[in-house]
Amino acid sequence: MGVSGGNSRTSEPWRVGVLFSRTGFMSVIEETQLRGTLIAIDQINDNGGINGCPIEPVIYDPGSDVRSYGQYAKRLMVEDGVSTIFGCYTSSSRKAVLPVVERLDGLLWYPTLYEGFEFSPNVIYTGATPNQNSVQLCRVLMEQFGKRFFFIGSDYIYPRESNRVMRELVRNNGGTVVGERYLRLEADRSEFMPLLRDIKRAQPDVIFSTVVGESTTFLYQAYHDLGLNPKVVPIASLTTTEAEIRAMGHDVGEGHFTAASYFQGIETERNNDFVSYYHKRYGDDEPTNMCLEASYFQVNLFARTLEQTNSLDTRHLRNSVMGAEFEAPQGCVSINPVWGHADVWTRIGRANRRGQFDIVFQSQTNVTSDPYLISYGRRFELAECA
Amino acid sequence: MRLDYGHDRWMGSPQLPEPRATGSERSPRQTERAGEMNIAVIVERDDNGEFLIRELQRMRANVKHLWPVPAQIPLQFDAIFCALSKDLPQRIPWVPGEPSSALIVVDDGKEPLNLKLIHNCAAHGLLHYPATSRMIQSVLMLAREHFQYERRLRSRIEKLDENLRTTRLVERAKVLLIRLKNLSEEEAYNFLRKQAMEKRVTIGAVASAVIDSHELLS
Repeated sequence: MGVSGGNSRTSEPWRVGVLFSRTGFMSVIEETQLRGTLIAIDQINDNGGINGCPIEPVIYDPGSDVRSYGQYAKRLMVEDGVSTIFGCYTSSSRKAVLPVVERLDGLLWYPTLYEGFEFSPNVIYTGATPNQNSVQLCRVLMEQFGKRFFFIGSDYIYPRESNRVMRELVRNNGGTVVGERYLRLEADRSEFMPLLRDIKRAQPDVIFSTVVGESTTFLYQAYHDLGLNPKVVPIASLTTTEAEIRAMGHDVGEGHFTAASYFQGIETERNNDFVSYYHKRYGDDEPTNMCLEASYFQVNLFARTLEQTNSLDTRHLRNSVMGAEFEAPQGCVSINPVWGHADVWTRIGRANRRGQFDIVFQSQTNVTSDPYLISYGRRFELAECA
Repeated sequence: MRLDYGHDRWMGSPQLPEPRATGSERSPRQTERAGEMNIAVIVERDDNGEFLIRELQRMRANVKHLWPVPAQIPLQFDAIFCALSKDLPQRIPWVPGEPSSALIVVDDGKEPLNLKLIHNCAAHGLLHYPATSRMIQSVLMLAREHFQYERRLRSRIEKLDENLRTTRLVERAKVLLIRLKNLSEEEAYNFLRKQAMEKRVTIGAVASAVIDSHELLS
């Protein structure tokens, strides 16, 4: 017998939890994820809610502190009686929420790219995993710039794990990793200059960065200040979105690469609507980004599913969302029933002077999620979208 | 008054005749004995509470009584008996799913039944007042078993994740050896295994050394 989310309901709102940091060093990107979540909820509620009832978010700010994510998840489930939670950017915060939703049988919707190699019956993953971004990024970089890679990252799970995957890709295709360095998550401006000098000395063809959060700005600015040229040695990233480019300055970001399932510059009607709605609400100079978009489409997928189940029961929701499709701003996405991960698009963008990304590569369709890298092409010629 | 006061024994007590005595105090079938446990009892010291404490002491458990319920329930006990209250979930110091002790909530039956509250405590067992000696013994055993079983499952998942990573390393090292040393797949694997045995390290460590040294030389 379930103790939560019964089927018989009155007109009470559907309460859901929201966990993104509005303060601390992760706030630049997580603030946009919060916005994506709230825009979706507002649009759904403006259209009459789900089966006559509005969605009511219960929002906490974990302040970029990993432990707080676990504690707020507990609070949401125990005190607020919520079982569906939208949230988390870093893998460490997801791993802090994981035991809570697994033990109390909640459902976490996680709208962020991550390193893969995880599966939980209590999580729906809607960001890209390495077969959906790293593989193609590595190919494009090797073709255009060369085979010597320097890895830098923030010191936590995601960068180390995605660098492991990237290292494998680089080596399998005849490239070398000429250096690998990690800086603490809260690294300040002064810590980047010596690192960039080391990189300059190592003479790589590409700097592959998995630096996240506020320090992303410091990295690109230090690069810029040293007078390095992105046409020769670009920084390539999986995490630098329009939000970070805006924070560092358009001139600083120009010429660098990012792989993502979504860029603001995608020319579709669906995306134009999405972007103009966002601009109307937050201002014309506020860019959209992949994490914002994933936060937005996952709430919509949840809403469609809830319409069918008419219950917040985790098992019902999860079973019904498997295989569900949604016309997202990035294109059609669906939840892959094998892994509970989203099949999303692969795109590679190069930042331009306006702080937007020019798309230099795009997959033909959405790319099947393969979080354990079981069937992805080991060499590029075998890769799915080559 | 209790009907069964003081006449039960901890399950598998060494004083019970064992069909095939091993000579040691522990038979393979008994997983754990109360006599080796540190147990916190966080209940009011009324008749029911006294009985619970006495029973646990009679099982030779090392009992520490605490009352009123502290703001944060202490860690470092093998098992904790704690009175059920509305704010108990907030007083539990761990997040659900990562408990540090087996937790048995104690329901005195005075409040209406609240299943949601019991769910939120994510406990391993529940004891109702008035408790009998049998109830106390069995709930303690079951709670410890659940707690340890969960822990074993978690460690198994960690192990599986680690194995998955090792397997990938071995695969990559094999491919390198096949290419560089002209070996068959089986020869490559045997090479890794032999190295691991000779150097007394895991095959994953050898594989990763092969990969790293190739990286260094190329």
